[in-house]
Amino acid sequence: MAEDFNVEGMLDIFLFESEQLLDNLQDIVLEMKDESRFDDDSINEIFRVMHTIKGSSGIMMYEDITTVSHKLEDVFYYLRDTYPDNVPHVKLVEYVLEVADYISGELEKIKEGGEPDGDSSKLVAEIDSFLTQIKTGIIDSGEDLPPENEHQEATQFYIPAAPGEASKYFRITLHFFNDTQMCNIRAYQAVYELKEYAEDLIFSPEDIISNEDSGEVILQEGFRILLMTKSDRAEIKSILEKCSGVELVDIKESTAQEMMLGFSDDVIMEQPSPIVIALDDEEAKKAKEKAEAVTPGDYVVVKQDVGKKKQIAKHTKGPSKAAFMSVSVEKMDQLMDLIGEMVIAEAAVLENPDLKVPGLELSNFQKAAGQLAKITSDLQDVTMSMRMVSLQATFQKMNRIVFDVSRKLDKDIELEVIGENTEVDKNIIEHISDPLMHLIRNSVDHGIEDKEGRKAAGKPKKGKITLEAKNEGGKVYIIVRDDGAGLDKEKIYSKARQKGLIDSRSINEYSAKEIYQFITYPGFSTNETVTEYSGRGVGMDVVVKNIQNINGTLEIDSVPGQGSEMTLKIPLTLAIINGIVMEAGTGLFVIETSLVKEFVRVNEDMLVHEPNGEKYIMIRGECYPFMNLAKRYNMMSTESETIEDGVVIVMDYDGKNICVLVDKLVAQQEIVVKPIPNYIKRVRGLSGCTQLGDGSVALILDLPGLMLGEEKVK
Amino acid sequence: MAEGQILFSEDNLEEGQKGKYMTFKTGNEYFGIAINYVCEIIGIQPITAVPEVESYIKGLINLRGKIIPVIDMRARFNIEPLEYTDRTCIIVIDVKGTTVGLIIEKIAEVVTIDDEDIIPPPSLTHRNTSNNKYVYGIGKIGDQVKMLLDPEKLIKDEDMSIMGSLADDDADANEE
Repeated sequence: MAEDFNVEGMLDIFLFESEQLLDNLQDIVLEMKDESRFDDDSINEIFRVMHTIKGSSGIMMYEDITTVSHKLEDVFYYLRDTYPDNVPHVKLVEYVLEVADYISGELEKIKEGGEPDGDSSKLVAEIDSFLTQIKTGIIDSGEDLPPENEHQEATQFYIPAAPGEASKYFRITLHFFNDTQMCNIRAYQAVYELKEYAEDLIFSPEDIISNEDSGEVILQEGFRILLMTKSDRAEIKSILEKCSGVELVDIKESTAQEMMLGFSDDVIMEQPSPIVIALDDEEAKKAKEKAEAVTPGDYVVVKQDVGKKKQIAKHTKGPSKAAFMSVSVEKMDQLMDLIGEMVIAEAAVLENPDLKVPGLELSNFQKAAGQLAKITSDLQDVTMSMRMVSLQATFQKMNRIVFDVSRKLDKDIELEVIGENTEVDKNIIEHISDPLMHLIRNSVDHGIEDKEGRKAAGKPKKGKITLEAKNEGGKVYIIVRDDGAGLDKEKIYSKARQKGLIDSRSINEYSAKEIYQFITYPGFSTNETVTEYSGRGVGMDVVVKNIQNINGTLEIDSVPGQGSEMTLKIPLTLAIINGIVMEAGTGLFVIETSLVKEFVRVNEDMLVHEPNGEKYIMIRGECYPFMNLAKRYNMMSTESETIEDGVVIVMDYDGKNICVLVDKLVAQQEIVVKPIPNYIKRVRGLSGCTQLGDGSVALILDLPGLMLGEEKVK
Repeated sequence: MAEGQILFSEDNLEEGQKGKYMTFKTGNEYFGIAINYVCEIIGIQPITAVPEVESYIKGLINLRGKIIPVIDMRARFNIEPLEYTDRTCIIVIDVKGTTVGLIIEKIAEVVTIDDEDIIPPPSLTHRNTSNNKYVYGIGKIGDQVKMLLDPEKLIKDEDMSIMGSLADDDADANEE
C-alpha cells in the first residue's frame, strides 16, 4: 500500500463533484430567490452541499475554499436549527451566490493548473458579521444560541477516554453522509491520518483502495477500524472528525483479544456490551439503548454477519445516487467511429459479391442479416442519443444572469423558461452558452425599460423575458423574447449610416428584418452609454459569429413598444447530418438535405450568360445565381458533360438561393461528420468529410462558405 | 522498478528499429524511410480528390474509419504521373501525430543501413537543392544506393520556399 496520501487522481473527481454540487446549489438558490425565506429542504440541501465541499476541499488542502464553505455551512446550520425569522432573505441569497462564485472561480483556477489564490477573507468576514447579525437578533428575543457545529452534538454520548499508560485498544466505526461519494478514498484518508498515532491498525473492508465498490459498502455499513494506540480517545476523535464526509464517529474501547481476532469473529461483534460493561456500566447502558433504537446509518449495521453484509450492499441502492456517469468525450467519439465502421463492415458482409452466386439458398442468411441490420441501426441511434444533452443546465445559468443584471440595474424582471428539456448535441451546447448569455443580457439591459419607463408605457411593473426552446424540422429553435420597448428602426438605421456600415439606400428600401440585422454588424451598438453588462459594441456580431460556427442562424424581430424576439436556429447535432451525396467531376460531395430546396433538370437555354462571365439560370421565371461545382473546384472529369446530363440543385441559405450543377445524385443518407485532416489546409466551401457506406470518402459542402467564395471569386 | 523495465524494453525496441529503413521505388530511384515512422502499408484505394490543394496531395482515403490525406510521391518529386497499378502501394506514416499516406510505385524491402554507410547528399549541383531538402542522406548497401527521406520535411507545406527556389532555378536556366 502506498504510504503517501496521493491526491493526484482524486483531483478530477473533486473538481467534477464540486462543480455538480455548485450547480445544484445555484439551482436551489435561484428557485427560492423569490420566496420570503428558504424552506427546510433547501436549507438542508445547501447545508449538505457546503458540508461536502468543505470536506473534499479539506482533503485536497484548498484552505480558502474550506474556510468559505465552512462559514456558509455555519450560517445554514444555524438556520436549520433555530428557524430565525429575521433573516434578510435577499441578502442571504446574494451571499450564497457569492460563495458559489468564489468557489467556482477557484475551481476554474485549479482546473487550469494554477493555485487557488483568491482572497476569501473579505467574504468570510462579511458572512461572519451577517451571521452575528442574525444571531444577535435572536439573543435579543431571549433564545439560546445553538451549538456551533453539529459534530459536537452528534458525539456527545461517548465516554471520555480512561487514561492509561499502556497501549489502548479502540474499535472505531465511521459513518459517512448518505450521499457521500468516494467513501473508500475518504476512509483511506482517515486510515492515513490515524497511522501516525497507531501502533497497530486493522480496518474493514480491507480493499478500500483497490476496490471502488468498497465505497458503497462503507456507505451502507460504516467503516470499521481496530486501533492499538497510545493516544487517548479525544485525540483520535478529533483526528477522525476532521475527515471529510464523516457524519458520525463511533469510538469504543476494545481489548487486545479483539484486536487479534480482527473482524473475522462476529460473536464478539454481536455482543459488544459485556466488554463495555466491564469498563463502564453507565456507558454500556447508553450503548445498549442506542443499539435498540435502530436508526439507519447508526452502528447497528455493524452487527450484520458477513454473509448478510454483501446482500445489503447489493439490495439497497440508495435512490439518492444519480443514475448517471460521466464518460470522456474522446471515448464517445471513438464509439461513434467504431459504429460507423461497423455499419460499413455490415454492408460489406451483406452485399458481399460471394453471395451473388445464382441459385444460392439464402433465406436463413437473410433472416440473420435482417436481425443484424436492426441491431446495428439501434446501436447507432442509442449512441447518437448518448451525445444529446438537455438544455436545462444552460438555461439555468441564464436564470442567474437575469437575477444578477436586473438587480444591478434595479429592474424587476422575471424569466420564464419553456422547453428546457429539449435535447441538443453536447458539442452544440458548449457553443450556444455564450451567445445566449449575451442575448439575455441585452434583453435585460436594453430590452426591458427601467421602472419609470414601464410605468409610462402602462406596462406591468415586472418585466418579463421568455426563454424558449423547441424542436422543429431537425433544428432546435431557441427564442429569447422580452416585453420591453422593442427595437427602434429609425435609430438603428441612422446609427448604421452614421457608422458607415451600410450604403446610402433610404430607410424605406430596407425591410424591417433587414434593419434589425444591422445590429449584428461589427461595431454597432445603439446604447449611448457603455454599461458593465453590454454596450461595448462587440456583442451582437460575436453572437452571430459564434452561432454561424455551429451552422446556426439568428433572426431578429420586434414590435415597437411591445418587445423584441431573437430566434436562434441551430442544428440538433453536428456529428451527424442528413445529407445528399452527389458526384461532380472527379469529386464526391455531400450537402445537408435541409438546405436543398429542389432538384431541377435544366438545359442550355435556361442559362443566362452575363458579359462579365457570371451565369444565371431561369427556373419558372425566377432568376438564380448558377455555379458549376466541378468547374468551381477545377475538378472537371475528362469526358465533357453537358449541362443537360447533370442535375441542378437549388439550395437555400439564409433566404438566398443558389443553383449548383452536379453530375449525378448518388444517395440520401445519414452521414457522420468528420473533420478534414489538419494536414490539408482549409478549403473554402468545405466544412468536413465523411465516409460513405461503401467506404469511400466524400467532402461536405459548406454552403455559406461556398457562396462567400463565389462572391470573392467575382 | 516497473518503470525502469519499461524504459529498458523501449530502448530495446528503439535499438531494434535503429538503422532499419523501409525502401520503395518511385521513378527510377529507391528511397528509404526510417522504419519507426511507418505505421503500415496498404494497397492502393479509391481516393477522393480534394479541391484547391497542392497538386501532390491526391486527396483523402478511408483507413478503417480514419480519414487520412495521401501524397503522390511522383508528384512530390515532380516526376510525370503514372497510372496506378496493383503494385502501387500506400505507405502510411505517422509524423508527430500527423498521419499521411505516401503513394509509391513499388514497395521494396526493409534494409539495415549502418550510420557509417550514410553520407550527406553531395551538393555539387546547386540546382537541385530545393528537391534535395527532404533527402537528408544517401545510404549505401553494397553497390546500391538508397536516398533517405526526412518525413517531416517531406510532408511539410513548403510552398513558399519551393516557389522561391523554383524561381531561382528558372533564372539559372535562363542564364544557361
